[in-house]
Amino acid sequence: MKRAIALTATWIRESDFPLSASGFQPALKKILSVLTGLSFSLLGFAVFLVFWHIVSIITNAELPGPIATSQVFWELVKDPFYDYGPNDKGIGLQLFSSLGRVFSGFLLGSMIAIPVGLLMGANAFCRKIFYPIVQILKPVSPLAWFPIGLVAFQSASTATIFIIVITSLWPTLINTSFGVASIPDDHKNVAKAFGFSKWKYLTKVLLPFSLPHIITGLRLSIGVAWLVIVAGEMLSGGNGIGFFVWDSWNALSLEKVISAILIIGSVGLLLDRGFSFLEKKVTYSI
Amino acid sequence: MSYLKIENMEIAFNSLKGRFVAVKDINLEIEKGQIVSVIGHSGCGKSTIMNAVAGMVFPSKGKVVLNGSEIKGPGPDRGIVFQNYSLLPWLTVYQNIFQAVDAALKGKSKVEKKELTEEYLKLVNLWEHREKHPKQISGGMKQRVAIARAFAIDPEVLLLDEPFGALDALTKTSLHIELLKIWNVTHRSKTIIMVTHDIEEAIFLSDRIVVMTNGPAASIREIEEVHLPRPRNKKEIVNQPEYKVIRERLLSLLVDKIEVDEKDFYKEEKAA
Repeated sequence: MKRAIALTATWIRESDFPLSASGFQPALKKILSVLTGLSFSLLGFAVFLVFWHIVSIITNAELPGPIATSQVFWELVKDPFYDYGPNDKGIGLQLFSSLGRVFSGFLLGSMIAIPVGLLMGANAFCRKIFYPIVQILKPVSPLAWFPIGLVAFQSASTATIFIIVITSLWPTLINTSFGVASIPDDHKNVAKAFGFSKWKYLTKVLLPFSLPHIITGLRLSIGVAWLVIVAGEMLSGGNGIGFFVWDSWNALSLEKVISAILIIGSVGLLLDRGFSFLEKKVTYSI
Repeated sequence: MSYLKIENMEIAFNSLKGRFVAVKDINLEIEKGQIVSVIGHSGCGKSTIMNAVAGMVFPSKGKVVLNGSEIKGPGPDRGIVFQNYSLLPWLTVYQNIFQAVDAALKGKSKVEKKELTEEYLKLVNLWEHREKHPKQISGGMKQRVAIARAFAIDPEVLLLDEPFGALDALTKTSLHIELLKIWNVTHRSKTIIMVTHDIEEAIFLSDRIVVMTNGPAASIREIEEVHLPRPRNKKEIVNQPEYKVIRERLLSLLVDKIEVDEKDFYKEEKAA
């Protein structure tokens, strides 16, 4: 009997069962705090909707109100994957082609940014020669790169990926180099004193220390990439969520534009959440 | 020819304000298997001497000779226990020791390295805590990991840089015993050099105590020989006449004022 009790006790401890006798109160509190948080968000949305509705009335429905928009929104998301030729595709397909571009641009950018960032962080010489270039190129608007992309790749679609690469790599690059450059001397001394090989230093000291910084950089980068895609696709045309916004504007459907804005915002939020989850996973605590 | 020899060593650093001499005219000879403490005020270059033996800094004059060859850099023949534990926070206790063993002992097989790691984990009584991360264990336990890590690479010389400075008196005492235990297990063949602020600690552990003058450009002021028989007993040692003599000598060398001046009280009273 005693043994059984002991076993249950360890099982509860190991699985972190939220409703165990001792854990019941905290679990309830957690649910409560989530509910309060949720109600605050709902309140915020309600205020926003009322404000939007009033603006819509003032402008004589020049700006479509929440109700008109929600009807169009529903039409859009009801059948997101239809494909009636190159100029008439469902919102889901548009979204996926945009996400495809964002991720290919983002991955390419990261593949450049992380190694260069590691190099700049680890080596003062590299940092000194590359940093001025980074500072000059970082603030350049993505659209300014577009003509160069067109010349280089002869294709609007590839040029869009190019501008995502070139604008989304900076946050990762800077964060990576900062992370590596801020490795404490204590950690370096341990590696020196015990004769760590280059590989061991990289895998046991440098990367574990800078990984949280790198992931934060990636999180900022994916945000930038998602910001750039809309502008890029407005210029390049063809397909994608940016093209959809521009196309809807040409068709004088502000309802569609607003629906697209809401979708863009939600997807951006999801991307950010995903990386913030990753960030928490790799952050060690001291 | 002594085992570890520091000859006419001077260590200077170049800074923006000019040349800063940390220590000079350091001559010290240490026999194999001795425990030597270096004691002095903050900023007297104790750690600098230690770093020179470790091979982390290089003398601007003179040299450090270990076992007949001049020290040119860090090496697995010297194990270091750093001032602030310096464990890698993302590795478990086990991994902290294993990775150091793995890096330092290149000739050994994986199995031998694992056995060594386990042996030293058990020696410092951390076997049950091997899967924990540094943040989950106390300061005393962290320092035991650091000591186990330094001993596990089986170095000839152990360098302890204020190893117990951040610990409370009780933990300190038990770690002193633990250190001597490992030293005994290795047949008292390891040479230990320890930097400390603590007079009692220095007397209890050492065969010789090197007292430094104040910095900058510090040098050796005096070397005290401690002939107290081993094994030493924390409780009994304090009653031995030699202990008292050495303690008094060290106190007078290091502390210029050992009691509160009564005049200070009177002044306060008058002021009030």
